[in-house]
Amino acid sequence: MTLVAAAPSTVVRPEVDESTSLDNPWIVLVWNDPINLMSYVTFVFQKLFGYSLEKATALMLDVHEKGKAVVSSGSREKAEMDVYRLHEHGLWATMQKDGGQKDGGRKDGGD
Amino acid sequence: MVGKKTAGGKTAATEMARRKPPFENGRNGYIINLDDDERHFIRRLVGEVRELLTSMPVGDPKMARLFPPAYTHSTGEDADAETEYQRLMRDELVASRLDSIGRIDELLADTSSSTMSGEQLNAFVVSLNSVRLILGTILDITDEDDDEDDDPDSPLAAEMAMYHFLSWLLDSAVTALMQG
Repeated sequence: MTLVAAAPSTVVRPEVDESTSLDNPWIVLVWNDPINLMSYVTFVFQKLFGYSLEKATALMLDVHEKGKAVVSSGSREKAEMDVYRLHEHGLWATMQKDGGQKDGGRKDGGD
Repeated sequence: MVGKKTAGGKTAATEMARRKPPFENGRNGYIINLDDDERHFIRRLVGEVRELLTSMPVGDPKMARLFPPAYTHSTGEDADAETEYQRLMRDELVASRLDSIGRIDELLADTSSSTMSGEQLNAFVVSLNSVRLILGTILDITDEDDDEDDDPDSPLAAEMAMYHFLSWLLDSAVTALMQG
């Protein structure tokens, strides 16, 4: 790629906004399952991530209706901690590098 | 996932509707409306989970839902990371669950206790959910209407009734916590 070849020899690392995918290379997904109660899943999203009732409910409905939802993103360490806390609460959560979703899930639950 | 409408079999649902919710918000914490039999029953169930957590070999299918994989993909670097996650975090998950179970067992053992702190009710909710995950796996609940199928002649009818009872308890506890 020409852009890469043209890169200057001294690279100044740009300030990157925290919300860009460069700084959030990992996403955490919660998958639908037939056992967990809808009220419980909403409660866990609020408790672990501090989401509003509206956002937590929307994410829960995404999980329920679409089969999964992205509930958080960040560094590998953050994603792993989020996955651990979700597992601690009995939710079926996995992490993967952003962009690894072939079927295009919704990012960050929409707002 | 299972919605509220499915929490409770027909006769059990009528019985449950007639009484006070098992947990309510009170001025000094969360009020526990459980009789001695119910307390005993819950202690027995979480005691069984404690047994399973301390004695089950890794990979027992009954416990699969309590220890899901951490990585979506099971190839390449993610496979190595998964192995590392299970090595480091599995014991943490066991310890965290034993801690929650210990707390609610202690609380329920004291039959004079009539309220719970938010922290205790949180431990309660997580432990009840662990029991439901194991029971749901044993009952092979694979789609959301499975738990509406109450066949009194099923060899697992008693487990199904327990599952409904736990769903009702959990829903009440979560509702109380979400209301503040």
